[in-house]
Amino acid sequence: MDLAFTEEQNLLRDSVRKFVDSQYAISGRNKLSASAAGFSRDYWQQYAELGWLALPFSEADGGIGGTPVDTMVLMEEFGRGLVLEPYLATVVMFGSAISMAGNEAQRAELLPAIMDGSLMASFAYAEAQSHHDLNNIETSAAADGDGYLINGEKCVVLNGQSAGKLLVSTRTSGTSQDHTGITLFIVDAAASGIKRTDYPTVDGLRAADIKFTDVRVSAADQLGETGKGYAIVESIANRAILALAAEAVGAMEVLYQDTIAYTKQRRQFDHPLSEFQVLKHRMTEMFMEHALAKSLCMKATMLETQGSAETQRTIHALKYLIGKASRFVGQNAVQLHGGMGMTEELRVAHYFKRLMVIDSQFGNTDHHLERFVA
Amino acid sequence: MDIEFSTADLAFQQDVQAFIKANLPRGMDMWTKRSEWFQALRDKGGWDVAKWPVAFGGPGFTPTQRYIFDLEMSRNSTPPQIPFGVTMLAPILMNYGTREQQERFLPGIRDGSVNWCQGYSEPGAGSDLANLQTKAVLAADGSHYVVNGQKIWTTLAHIAHWMFCLVRTDNTGIKQEGITFLLIPMNDPGIEIKPIITLGGSHSVNEVYITDVKVPVADRIGEEGKGWTYAKGLLVHERTGLAGIQNSVLALSKARNNALQVKVGDGTLLDVPAFRNKLGALEAELLALEFTELRSLASVSAGSDPGPESSIMKLKGTEIQQRISELNLEAAGVYAAAWGEQVGPGFARAATSAYLGTRATTIFGGASEVQKDVIAKNVLGLG
Repeated sequence: MDLAFTEEQNLLRDSVRKFVDSQYAISGRNKLSASAAGFSRDYWQQYAELGWLALPFSEADGGIGGTPVDTMVLMEEFGRGLVLEPYLATVVMFGSAISMAGNEAQRAELLPAIMDGSLMASFAYAEAQSHHDLNNIETSAAADGDGYLINGEKCVVLNGQSAGKLLVSTRTSGTSQDHTGITLFIVDAAASGIKRTDYPTVDGLRAADIKFTDVRVSAADQLGETGKGYAIVESIANRAILALAAEAVGAMEVLYQDTIAYTKQRRQFDHPLSEFQVLKHRMTEMFMEHALAKSLCMKATMLETQGSAETQRTIHALKYLIGKASRFVGQNAVQLHGGMGMTEELRVAHYFKRLMVIDSQFGNTDHHLERFVA
Repeated sequence: MDIEFSTADLAFQQDVQAFIKANLPRGMDMWTKRSEWFQALRDKGGWDVAKWPVAFGGPGFTPTQRYIFDLEMSRNSTPPQIPFGVTMLAPILMNYGTREQQERFLPGIRDGSVNWCQGYSEPGAGSDLANLQTKAVLAADGSHYVVNGQKIWTTLAHIAHWMFCLVRTDNTGIKQEGITFLLIPMNDPGIEIKPIITLGGSHSVNEVYITDVKVPVADRIGEEGKGWTYAKGLLVHERTGLAGIQNSVLALSKARNNALQVKVGDGTLLDVPAFRNKLGALEAELLALEFTELRSLASVSAGSDPGPESSIMKLKGTEIQQRISELNLEAAGVYAAAWGEQVGPGFARAATSAYLGTRATTIFGGASEVQKDVIAKNVLGLG
């Protein structure tokens, strides 16, 4: 057993941390969030140059050949900075789908474009009636000549606004509750029949509802086998959950540390708040929730890396625990900052909102607890 | 990073498993063949004193081997050792005792022929242990102390031959100073033991009254007035051992099985969402705590400090123990009320008893509230 990070992982952490510390002060971050794109294309190019966009892809595909542990290291640091660039949507979700399930032609076309920064992408999986069930899909793909016609509507598509390509989960057979009959397609975001409604998410990122009306795709655009897409969807979800969990761990660290710093300098009743036992204990509990969530994040990520049979169950436990810890740490960070915690001026509010959104993605605490204990 | 044990560690784990399979007494033998078990451990090369250094006859385990050893012992519910001598006093004797004291006391500790109890807490010194008032006055000729005072919550004092004891030899300075570490024989006529029956109806703790007990200076550990320093290192030791994670892993899987035996409607208790979710939440938290222990172990193995995470082990571990006991109590249903032998399902009486008994875990060894104070101060830097 070896829980130490490799030298490469430590270097990666240092370089991401350096970038975040120098470029991601909260005021600049919020300005970027309010800009038309909602993030910085310059930063995205820097990520490409630093090799971050190539991190999880195999060397055979021209990537760096990193493991989920490498992604965890990067995402934890991104979480510390509330990074806005669509790394999760493009590299973790879309990218891992292509690298895991794509044929040679698809990998050759799409992965280099992701790695050089020219292609951003999204995974359109959720629908209004889905709640958190990834198999609950009504968007249909009906055979039409040598291709398919897609009809339906996807909602809260992360990074929908900037995506050049969309990975869309569709139903090619069965009914909305089935786990079989799901097929994935890579769709050009500019294809005719696509109508997109963009909006910000509460944490300052971007999403879109996307309506598909007779959108034509060819057989070459199909990812994986017909009707067997659910396994791919699950794999993407697992990678996304691990990345989100690492991001949440980074965000929680900032929150409990900011709370400690704030209560040390804020005086009431002639004492710093940090001297009040009830607050000391609360902060100890925040530290504890963070430490436990971080432990399970490490464990699940290592299990995924080693392809362990325990992985799926541990990921359910992880998403549950991350949600629980995030809520506790987030709510108490706001509470202990008092009135200032309610303002947009301090960064606490922004981390709070990011954690709130993370719980809603790829299944919330209740969803994963149900599956973990089943 | 590699979550698997190394080949060498896996081989060690198999060795431990094979040893347990070959030597562990089963069923009723568990009680009658206890000493054979400990002898076999000893013959294996100091496995009876797994935490002792090689110089004192221990096996010289690496931190990972020690973890694996504890893991397998807990998983197989091997006979527990009473910790007071072997785990708590022995390290103090090794670090601060004279060679003569080591030779006199360690053999009896090791072979279990001499029972020890811990004389720390007093009516006025619980979490605030340094406030202890039991007084030891050095005789005019300097040959012995005369000790007077009262200890409380003294676990197994009624079967102990000796008590290691913190006493006050000076009260002029700050209260942590002036505390001295003495070894007191329990058969002295000046020792009076009164049982305390705890809320589960059991007798394990006691009041110990000490009246004009003469303790030779030769039975003092280290220097006069330095007892607090000696004991403090040991308290840390006590706390890290109290998380009981592997016992909880076992207990939680038993709780799941208990729930499966309980019929509710057409299904079992495990089909009741409110119960099932509590069980799941505990399993998830325990997984996280278990890996937190491994993170500390990894730090120690790499030659660093255990890391700030290790501070939460006792706090969270005892909370989990209590919550598991709640699940079993709920699984007992109406029989949670019954207090007779062999009433209701097999686990019910034990469940009620454990629920009552585990209330102590968040009180002893540093109450949870004190643990939080300590973490706030030492780990988070909160004044």
